[in-house]
Amino acid sequence: MKIFLTMIVVALTAPLTAQWLHYPTPGMPRTAGGKPNLSAPAPRTADGKPDLSGIWEMERNRPCPADGCNDIQAPQEFGNIAWTLKDGLPYQPWARELAKTRRETLRLDDPESHCLPPGIVELTTLPTYKKFVQTPGLSLILHERESSYRQIFTDGRPLPQDPQPAFNGYSIGKWEGDTLVVETTGFRDGLWLDTGGNPLTDAAKITERFRRVNYGRLEVDLTVDDPKAYTRPWTVKMIQTLAADTDLIDYICLENEKDMKHMVGK
Amino acid sequence: MKTLSALIVVALAAPLTAQWLHYPTPGLPRTADGKPNLSAPAPRTADGKPDLSGVWAMQRNLPCQPMGCVPPEFGNIAVSLKDGLPLQPWARDLAKNRRESLRMDDPISHCIPPGIVELQTIAFKKIVQTPGLLLILHETDASYRQIFTDGRPPLRDPQPTFNGYSTGKWEGDTLVVETTGFRDGIWLDVSGNPITDAAKVTERFRRVDYGRLEIDLTVGDPKAYTKPWTVKLIQRLQADTDLMDNICLENEKDMKHMVGK
Repeated sequence: MKIFLTMIVVALTAPLTAQWLHYPTPGMPRTAGGKPNLSAPAPRTADGKPDLSGIWEMERNRPCPADGCNDIQAPQEFGNIAWTLKDGLPYQPWARELAKTRRETLRLDDPESHCLPPGIVELTTLPTYKKFVQTPGLSLILHERESSYRQIFTDGRPLPQDPQPAFNGYSIGKWEGDTLVVETTGFRDGLWLDTGGNPLTDAAKITERFRRVNYGRLEVDLTVDDPKAYTRPWTVKMIQTLAADTDLIDYICLENEKDMKHMVGK
Repeated sequence: MKTLSALIVVALAAPLTAQWLHYPTPGLPRTADGKPNLSAPAPRTADGKPDLSGVWAMQRNLPCQPMGCVPPEFGNIAVSLKDGLPLQPWARDLAKNRRESLRMDDPISHCIPPGIVELQTIAFKKIVQTPGLLLILHETDASYRQIFTDGRPPLRDPQPTFNGYSTGKWEGDTLVVETTGFRDGIWLDVSGNPITDAAKVTERFRRVDYGRLEIDLTVGDPKAYTKPWTVKLIQRLQADTDLMDNICLENEKDMKHMVGK
């Protein structure tokens, strides 16, 4: 566990010391004192739907170390996507073994540590910012990680029947009341859901239910239905909080990369 | 040049043979027989400005070579400039050395972001224009670029990045985008023409009709060039398709063979 956390720190140190961007978020409701009013109602687009646009970060749910909180903290879900599930994940036996082996080899093959795309679940739990941009027919999630985007088509198109397997899959979304329900298939095999090595296969369908409960809080109920790796679907709730008056800064994993040669397992 | 072309083929072979996405582009004007009408007028947003949104690719203005179709600007950004680039002497030597060492250190061959100029000359890109923010999405490493159009000024001391920091404003029907804050060491093309952290890149985006987007790109970089220079990059709309990720590091087997000479 110590090694595990150390590796996360190594991976995330560079952007933490970078210069932050400060610019007033356009349209942000403010208190009389000019501070962001994050408990204001969620904004809405011209068609009356909630507007999920904004810069979000995972709720900081890991206790701060004794010497104080860091600028940025990996949430519990980054290490174990299932930390809120009392009975853990409903693994297929091979998947349990695989996750165990991945941890026992000190995450030697973790895609995230090798600058490969982490996939949509780990991208949600990374402690870096993400920016939701909602437009008619298309929503985007922009990630600091590799300055990479994810497209969510909301123009009514169906999921493709035989999509090219991709790290992010292929996503469509539709509104159910005030909840944006996003379905994603077409995953490339071999993805990790977290640094605990929990797997996702090319048979997976992921459903995310996005609900902006107020200006400053976005709740994402994420369901993984992957019969190859898990005996039944499972759901976790991930809370995102709005980051006000700032913007994304690129985090390019390969920039001045010096770590990979030291990743030799045990 | 043969080595150069061979390397380009290695770099681009995978996405070209991949399975394309086919889905009718929403809002695309069509002729009576259902074909995209690319000479229709450029669309406009609710505020009356031209809407640059769409999937675009560089015009292929040279015959395809046996090894594939690559825009010539990808090989040499200055291919259209009669007198070539006004390189400072050190920059001329640097570009020459980069070519003579067979592009051993070319960022794009090492899966490092190619920067906004080279990104204009490769693969598909998708422009998403929203009020206050214009995005360019690139297939290369599924990466985005933000262009702020909400009136904010350029940053005075930006964090140096591969894409820089971009702000845009409309001059009539032309979106004028200024970018500064580049990280040093970026290549503009596979010929190794440089750009430095002193550079300011100005792009003038003009959608002349539904199917054609013209970008006049000016590089002002007094460290590397004796005067600013401008090239025109023509983008053609790609109808009824979409982006597919090209993740450079996926199954990457080439780097160990890049040993120069």
